[in-house]
Amino acid sequence: MLQRIRTAPPRYWLVVVVVLFFAGFPTVISSFQAGQWALALILAIAIMGLNILVGYSGQLSLGHGAFMAFGAYASAILAHRYKMDYLVTIPIAGLLTGMVGFLFGVPALRLSALYLALATFALAVVMPSLIKRPVGLTGGVQGISLPPVVVPQLAKDGFTMLTGSAMTSDQWVYYVTFAYALVLFWLAWNLVRHRAGRAMRAIRDGEVAAAASGINISGYKTLAFGISALYAGIAGSLLGLATGYISPDTFPVSLSIQLLVGAVVGGLASIPGPLLGGIFAYFLPIESNQWVPTQTWIPSQIVATVVKAGPAVTYGVVLILLMIFAPNGIVGLATAGYNRLRRRLRGAADRESGHIPPDPQTV
Amino acid sequence: MQEFLQQIVSGIASGGIFASLALALVLIYNAMGLVNFAQGEMAMLATFIAFTLVDHGVSYWIAFPVTLVVAFAGGILVQRIVIRPVERAPILTLVIVTLGLATLVNGVAGFIFGYVPRSFPSPFSAQTVNLLGAFVSYRDLGVIGVSTVVLLLIYLLLQRTTIGLTMRAAAHHPEASRLLGVHVSWMLALGWGLASAVGAVSGIMVAPILLLEPNMMQTIIIYAFAAAVLGGIESPLGAVVGGLIVGVTVNLAGAYIPFVGGDLQLAVALAIIITVLVIKPNGLFGRPSVRRV
Amino acid sequence: MSALLELEDVRCGYGPTSVLHGVSLAVPEGGIVSLLGANGAGKTTTLRAITGGLRWLGEIRFAGRSLRRMHTEDIVGVGIAHVPEGRGILTELTVDENLKLGAHRRKDGATAVRKDYDRVFEYFPVLRERRNLSASTLSGGEQQMLAIARAMLMQPRLMLLDEPSLGLAPLVVRSIFEIIRTFNQADHVAVLLVEQNARLALEMSTDAYVLEVGRVAVKGASAELKGNESVRRSYLGY
Repeated sequence: MLQRIRTAPPRYWLVVVVVLFFAGFPTVISSFQAGQWALALILAIAIMGLNILVGYSGQLSLGHGAFMAFGAYASAILAHRYKMDYLVTIPIAGLLTGMVGFLFGVPALRLSALYLALATFALAVVMPSLIKRPVGLTGGVQGISLPPVVVPQLAKDGFTMLTGSAMTSDQWVYYVTFAYALVLFWLAWNLVRHRAGRAMRAIRDGEVAAAASGINISGYKTLAFGISALYAGIAGSLLGLATGYISPDTFPVSLSIQLLVGAVVGGLASIPGPLLGGIFAYFLPIESNQWVPTQTWIPSQIVATVVKAGPAVTYGVVLILLMIFAPNGIVGLATAGYNRLRRRLRGAADRESGHIPPDPQTV
Repeated sequence: MQEFLQQIVSGIASGGIFASLALALVLIYNAMGLVNFAQGEMAMLATFIAFTLVDHGVSYWIAFPVTLVVAFAGGILVQRIVIRPVERAPILTLVIVTLGLATLVNGVAGFIFGYVPRSFPSPFSAQTVNLLGAFVSYRDLGVIGVSTVVLLLIYLLLQRTTIGLTMRAAAHHPEASRLLGVHVSWMLALGWGLASAVGAVSGIMVAPILLLEPNMMQTIIIYAFAAAVLGGIESPLGAVVGGLIVGVTVNLAGAYIPFVGGDLQLAVALAIIITVLVIKPNGLFGRPSVRRV
Repeated sequence: MSALLELEDVRCGYGPTSVLHGVSLAVPEGGIVSLLGANGAGKTTTLRAITGGLRWLGEIRFAGRSLRRMHTEDIVGVGIAHVPEGRGILTELTVDENLKLGAHRRKDGATAVRKDYDRVFEYFPVLRERRNLSASTLSGGEQQMLAIARAMLMQPRLMLLDEPSLGLAPLVVRSIFEIIRTFNQADHVAVLLVEQNARLALEMSTDAYVLEVGRVAVKGASAELKGNESVRRSYLGY
């Protein structure tokens, strides 16, 4: 055991540090901030779902906000109408959304990447008006208010024992979200390392070749859709838990775009990417909105506009610049930098040993 | 019967608007195999330019062509600055770039013009005229007229001029066209300019109906998607026919199917998109495509 | 006298694989030069390098002017017509539109173009008949004729032909080659001909180069190569 720990590659240590950080730091930040970080983690979960679909299986969805909406409403309806415990509804909502995603994946098989993008985008635009229609079930435009979050006694006691202060509902929500994020990221990591993940990547990189090597293309593509939707559904459900109220306006098209921004910023086809992406996508508009009003030299009218239009402008610019200059996102940049550093170090070593690295191709 | 006819005429009017935007989508699809998700937002921004001109006392019929010229130049600029660096990137990247462009343009419009809906002038009166027993508004007729003229002009440009010929050549066979001396990259830019101008027409036509604000085109672009997909996304004629069919269908469904009503018309468009894509992905006029390996 | 087209030690390739390892050749004004060699020797790549289809090292000069860093569309503009591998027919367009594209950058006026049209239709009467049909309806031989006719309308000083005989019936090939020769003599247009059919190419051309894995293995007057048994055996395969 000790031996295994000692020989673990450095990235395992990085994972341990990150997990400990996320587990510990709600105890040092305010309850309100913990609530914010919960929302960032919720986005990260949904983005991981999107990442599995886009990054690993090569299918583009511009409508993942719609799957979040489905998960959120599934939970809310179960909790509100059927008086189920909200915590119990979360996995149910995830599975239901996963099933819907799986079903959606079947017709999606017949679509080219472009058409799929188009159809899912249309879905994201139409979703709010679809939600409004069954008023009896969804509460129409009014939405659904959820019962207040109750922190279980056990969690309260444990938290007090560790930190000496009482646990707020925001902190509780944070830990629930954190637990889900932990499990879902771990599952994603396992998924992409093993058979299914390899198959998906093979399909992404070339369907004909993948089919030739005996991979069940439609099976894995719909599976990716299902898993991806499951993540989005759980994220949506958690979003309901965190905000206590959902309505059609909770899930506008811009949510889907926010998810896409997060996925791209963090880096597609990477496991840490969605975490970074979630944090970025959540805090960017908030930070810019908090920063601008503090600037007294900007007239208040402009401030109001910036607060409303700012995130869109920033998201747009970020998407375009990233696609042009760093299509692999933050993780891609970091990896490239790390590799270059290592190559430089090794190149230097080679020079000492008198071995000249081969000339780069001139053409 | 009379009401039915009226519904059809106003469906055709909306169809003309959808057709213009769909045609813009088709132009860019033909040029580079890409659906421009920013087409609607670009049209919205152009409409704001027209609004500003009219607001400053410029006559509508001067503001209109001036806006089209500005939109044309803007389209070229967008292609040169934003699209060209990723021209050869995978389709996924290109789609994300246009989506980023859509978000950016939307934000910029909100930034400059704010989010308060504004009424946009229409040069046509809202009065109705009795046409074959149906009361049809001059406004609908005007929209139909303008759309027809624009679509006809585009047709003539593409089919009857040398520049149109080189644009079509560059779109279909960039490599072979280059060997014939066609400046393919500029043809792409021209395609973007043209698409942007045609899209602007749809924005200017729809603004008096919907009120002008940054999110005005968000639903129209979905109808245009439906129109383009229905027509077969590479066919200009298909875009026009698809636009008309979508316009009339959506209008009739809204008027006569109680379940659809006013607020699920957009869902009808979604249904059209998904049905066509699943059952007949080449649409009405598209040629069956060879699946690229 | 310096040649119309000169390649000096041209090296290039696709990505990391290099295809030409230093090719030098010259095409004199108004001459016909054939470029022979086995599949994969680099014949098509040579033509693509000339019209800027890929980047190269060394030097390529046309009429004394270096073609370095020039874009394909501008190279074509200075008087090189390239009929590429696979003919480069725009099948979405009509026959007439294809021809129009050939002439679209000419600046010598509509009358001159119309005269050339008549001449081209004289060479290839079938194209006049099919003028308004989609180019996709043409047979392989007719498409080849269209490609050559279109190249003629570009009013070039040099024509690059990439395997015009490929997939065509021998009789059709004969007549196409006859027309190319007529055109060459009438308009003093130089031709660089890439061919698998070495016998035919040597009959047509004044000079010939044989490429072998990206290098010029043999060069000389066509008549000489034709008579050289060992060259014929080892490189030309007949």
